[in-house]
Amino acid sequence: MIKISNLLKRIIIIIIIVIFIFSFSSSYDSLNIDNLAFVVALGIDKSTENKFNITFEFIVPKPSSEGASETEPVLESVECSSITNGINIMNSYLGKKINLSHCKLIIFSEELAKEGISDEIYSLINEVQVRPSANIVVSKCNTKYYIENSVPSLENLVPKYYDIFPNTSDYTGYTCNATIGDFFNSLICNYCDPYAILGGVSSSETNSQAETLDDASIKSTETPITGGRLAQNIGLAVFNNDKLVGELNAIETVCFLSIKKEVHSFLISIVDPQDSNSKIDIYITPNSTHKIDVDFVNGTPYIKIKLDFSGKIYSMSKDSHYLDADVLDAISSSCNSYLESQFSSYLYKTSTIFESDINELGLYALSEFITTTEFDNYDWLTNYKNSTFDVDINTTMDSGFLLTQT
Amino acid sequence: MRKIEKSKKIGTISAVMLTLSIVVSYVTSSLPRAFINETKSATLLNIIYITAIVLFIILLFCRLIQKFPGLDLLDISYFLGGNLLKNIVGSCFIFYFVVSSGLMLRNFCEGLVVVYYPLTSYIFVILMFIVAIAFVNKLGFNSTLNTAAIVFPLVLISIILLFCGNLGNFSFRRIYPVLGDGFYNTFILGLKNIGAFGGICYLYFIPSMLKDPSKLKKIAVISVISTGLFIFLCVATLLFMFSFFINADEIMPLFSAARYIEFGSFFQRFESVFLLIWIISFGCYLSISCKFSTHIFNKMFKLSDMKPILNIFLILIFAISIFPKNYASSNFFEIHIYRYLRIAIGFILGMTILILANLKKKKVGDKN
Repeated sequence: MIKISNLLKRIIIIIIIVIFIFSFSSSYDSLNIDNLAFVVALGIDKSTENKFNITFEFIVPKPSSEGASETEPVLESVECSSITNGINIMNSYLGKKINLSHCKLIIFSEELAKEGISDEIYSLINEVQVRPSANIVVSKCNTKYYIENSVPSLENLVPKYYDIFPNTSDYTGYTCNATIGDFFNSLICNYCDPYAILGGVSSSETNSQAETLDDASIKSTETPITGGRLAQNIGLAVFNNDKLVGELNAIETVCFLSIKKEVHSFLISIVDPQDSNSKIDIYITPNSTHKIDVDFVNGTPYIKIKLDFSGKIYSMSKDSHYLDADVLDAISSSCNSYLESQFSSYLYKTSTIFESDINELGLYALSEFITTTEFDNYDWLTNYKNSTFDVDINTTMDSGFLLTQT
Repeated sequence: MRKIEKSKKIGTISAVMLTLSIVVSYVTSSLPRAFINETKSATLLNIIYITAIVLFIILLFCRLIQKFPGLDLLDISYFLGGNLLKNIVGSCFIFYFVVSSGLMLRNFCEGLVVVYYPLTSYIFVILMFIVAIAFVNKLGFNSTLNTAAIVFPLVLISIILLFCGNLGNFSFRRIYPVLGDGFYNTFILGLKNIGAFGGICYLYFIPSMLKDPSKLKKIAVISVISTGLFIFLCVATLLFMFSFFINADEIMPLFSAARYIEFGSFFQRFESVFLLIWIISFGCYLSISCKFSTHIFNKMFKLSDMKPILNIFLILIFAISIFPKNYASSNFFEIHIYRYLRIAIGFILGMTILILANLKKKKVGDKN
């Protein structure tokens, strides 16, 4: 009798295991690597015939003679009425299921971004596979063209390049690590606006235009760079709600990142106080003593921004006296006035021209209100354009690096 | 025989872990989202406020139950109103434990299906939990308690890691405006968030299971404070990170927060580990609910063998979990009904019985 009950138990256990194997195998199959096509970049363009032209960039590993793995990017495009439909059509064409869990870059064309991309962002965020850390780029050209030209010159792997390039914002401040998670967060919040990396592909014409520009005023497609990779990511795309309203150049992006405390160091060129015809390069490091205050004067925001920086002099020439306190003070004040003018110009540009609070300055205004209803009624995003900015920069200048005096 | 009986009793730490395991299941589903959606930026203030109120209630509970050492709410109901009241109270709590477990299970599994099992029916995911709990029940309640004692510290570590790992994404200024949707919404309507301390309901039945019933006060106070801190940590993570939980809903909000954790380019995608820990903890919650329902049922009908009844309650939980038509229905229950049920049964019914029983005891004592 005991044996029969034991046998029955075993049979029940086996049945349960078999049921679970069958019920979960479909999910396992759908996630099986053999059935998946991993997308590393997704380009979304406006289409003339249908609504969207979506470009998928896949990676096909190929064996290398040197032993190191190499990858060959494969681009496929589809015209469709929505991103989800595009993925579905592409699944059918590829004979594999598209997986976005390794998608590092989501690129929107400038034309589409100007019309508003909230529906696309909501749909992408709704997709479990899309990581919130995927970077978001607004391309000044066709997204397919941008992806085609985003071939890394110093990397074997395209995904690694996509992973690494936004990190340059830490030490150049010329681009930004703008992610879809942050974009979605800003899209929904009532005191900030979204932003994205400004991307583009340079051509010989745009390069010739760029020659006339100051080094700090460059942005994607308007740079003096010539090289193996034509795609560039310099500057920032500014949104008002979900619509692209403008672009920021390199130094404006530095200002944006400094206020957000997301840049570790950057380089500026200022007029040499000892020789007004020449410029000196200063390596700037933000201090942790940033202070932002928002007050209300006659119902309009009065925003005080106090930023502290440390600077080291990069440029060296004959007869440099960077141990002389007077020289350092003169450079400090030159640096302060340069940065103050850049920050003020950036802040007024974003507030009055773009009417967009990409720096989340509204966050500092929240403490001035007792309830969220009061804040909602004030309508920060509408009133932001009337803001007055008081920028106070304090740069403490050190001498150079290895050389302090020549 | 006495040794065996004693080994089945619950120690102080196990009892605290037991109550905390309950809150883990709430927190990993939609509790933090409900908190933030309703009290907005004043959520943390609201949590401190309701923790203080629950602490007061629990001290009152300890004082009231002090006169009935070693007795649980069923014994006290019997003392107050005989078998009829005992059966009514028992049925209410069984209804609460079974229905809440079933619907929480459904919501949790809906989240799992969306995240990991896109082509598997939610019924099989629910069944997986049910079968697991059936096996656990065969091993005895101590195995659940030991698992809870091991898993809860891991859950706590995961939540602390979630908080610390996302520090870079925090904006502490999101606690402003201080009063959120206003004083009335934060302190009057916000009182309904008291339901988050659902683990308290289990404390009513713990005295008879404790190794040392005199430590009930210690257990209750530690449980309330720890639950408050735990909810505070979870909600703070979401509040400081996202502005969108105020305007949009997301399935398993803590899972969403876990997706943001990255330590360089090597340590990424931690959410799977977190979810595994939360799944085990959710299993503990189901097992505890099942055990308490069975305990009450056995006490109501004076049954000696618990094991066959356990499986019946599991089948009931399964049936209730597949009852809602879709996620929207189960979510509606969780947000709009469940918390009131917790307040009505857990706080109002339980405390009323204790107060009345104390009055009766005083009256009887006076007469004697």
